[in-house]
Amino acid sequence: MINRHKNLREKKGNFWEERLGLRAIINFLRQKKVPLSEHTIWLYTGSLILLFLAVQVITGIVLALYYKPTVAEAHASVRRIMTEIPLGWIIRSVHFWSATGMIATVFVHMISIWLLKSYRRPRELTWMTGVFLLIITLGFGFSGYLLPWDSLSLAATKVGTDIPRVIPLIGGWISKFLRGGEDVGADTLTRFYLFHICLLPLMIFLLIGFHIFLIQKLGISHPLKYEMRGIKVPEIPFWPDFVLREARVWLIALGVLITVAIFFPRSLGPQADLMAPTPAGIKPEWYFLFLFQTLKLFPSQIIFISGETLAILIILLFLGLFFFLPLIDNQPARKKGKIITAISVIIIIYAIAMTIWSLFE
Amino acid sequence: MKFKYSCLSRRRFLSWLGGGWLATFVCSLIYPLFKAITPPYREPDEVVLLIKEVIELQPNSVKYFSWGIKPGILKRNDDGQLIAFVGVCTHLDCNVQYLPEKRKFFCACHEGWYDENGLNIAGPPPKPLRRLFVYEESDHLIIRREEKA
Repeated sequence: MINRHKNLREKKGNFWEERLGLRAIINFLRQKKVPLSEHTIWLYTGSLILLFLAVQVITGIVLALYYKPTVAEAHASVRRIMTEIPLGWIIRSVHFWSATGMIATVFVHMISIWLLKSYRRPRELTWMTGVFLLIITLGFGFSGYLLPWDSLSLAATKVGTDIPRVIPLIGGWISKFLRGGEDVGADTLTRFYLFHICLLPLMIFLLIGFHIFLIQKLGISHPLKYEMRGIKVPEIPFWPDFVLREARVWLIALGVLITVAIFFPRSLGPQADLMAPTPAGIKPEWYFLFLFQTLKLFPSQIIFISGETLAILIILLFLGLFFFLPLIDNQPARKKGKIITAISVIIIIYAIAMTIWSLFE
Repeated sequence: MKFKYSCLSRRRFLSWLGGGWLATFVCSLIYPLFKAITPPYREPDEVVLLIKEVIELQPNSVKYFSWGIKPGILKRNDDGQLIAFVGVCTHLDCNVQYLPEKRKFFCACHEGWYDENGLNIAGPPPKPLRRLFVYEESDHLIIRREEKA
């Protein structure tokens, strides 16, 4: 009798376990191991991106309560968020700075994997989905930039949506697709809003899901130099050890994010005017500067092809090589791998140098 | 110092301390989001109409005006006096209309009836229509939320 009573109570305590079976997930995460080395710090960037993404979703939903994606109302509705809505300015500022943080972290995440060659067999697909995620993240930045409909965002969008035109065959169509017609106008704004809050989120969640699935399936890559020498890197369990370490990073990131958002609030420029001349000295956001500066370097005409076309085609070529990098760099430990690393370092230094040059020009 | 007896183990104490701190932290993050969810709306203190706009208003007829983002109803009584209401049913927020031939305010949503002075007389409305206060000042008609002190 006593025994039967005890059994009943045990079952009660296991209410959720019986229905959801979450213990299997915890057990999986306990068994999942994270290599501990001087490169472990780069592993925090992944979950940091997810943190910033979560902040984007939450603040974005609050902003969407008041934002109106029409030429007549967009600018005024953002102004209302900044001036009338209780603490609306903080929400918008956090949304802006979290976007900045997310893009910056994506770059660090990408560069660390790139130089450490963590994309090597069998993690090629993880890298390729990562390249798509990079493009989507930049797409978020680009589409979100237009939404306040101020003079700078209009100019940036005009330039950004004009660039694809030079791509042979499909370029014109891409530009029209992005703009919703020949020119940037009312339809562009509505369309960018749709990209920003519907299409891109759907794509990013699907791809992140796949990206994370691959990481769980394949485990976390060990640094190449230890793998080559056959040195066993010490490991810690993902749960709870690594998660606790990550939580520290999240706390610091949240603190920095909110502090920066409050002390350097995002401002709002004058309303965009489709007829007005472009304001002098305009530049894109920092994450597009290396492309912006590259485009400026090319002369207007090179032999038989326009400089812009050549520049865009070279950039696209690099993007393609970048996407297939794990397949190209198939002997990471050999001489070929080292040459690729050297080229990669040069490209990264080039991008940073171009960004700095553009910033101080 | 070590207590001989304690109602709390050290682990339990630390768990509550940590958990409590975390909960406070999360609340501080949620607070601004929560604040931003509801926009501020203040109904107007007063609305000003021109006397000449209402001079032709006949007894037992009404003129609709904007009371913020709700309808206001200005009505001339048989004795020539002007009275004003917020034209929203006290039952479930529908806009009401005045039916001069019946001398009643009517809410179509749930068949609520108010008499010509805004008193709820039939149907579900629990309270009379909300009265506003009408003042004439030179050539302006001022409709106020509260009675002038």
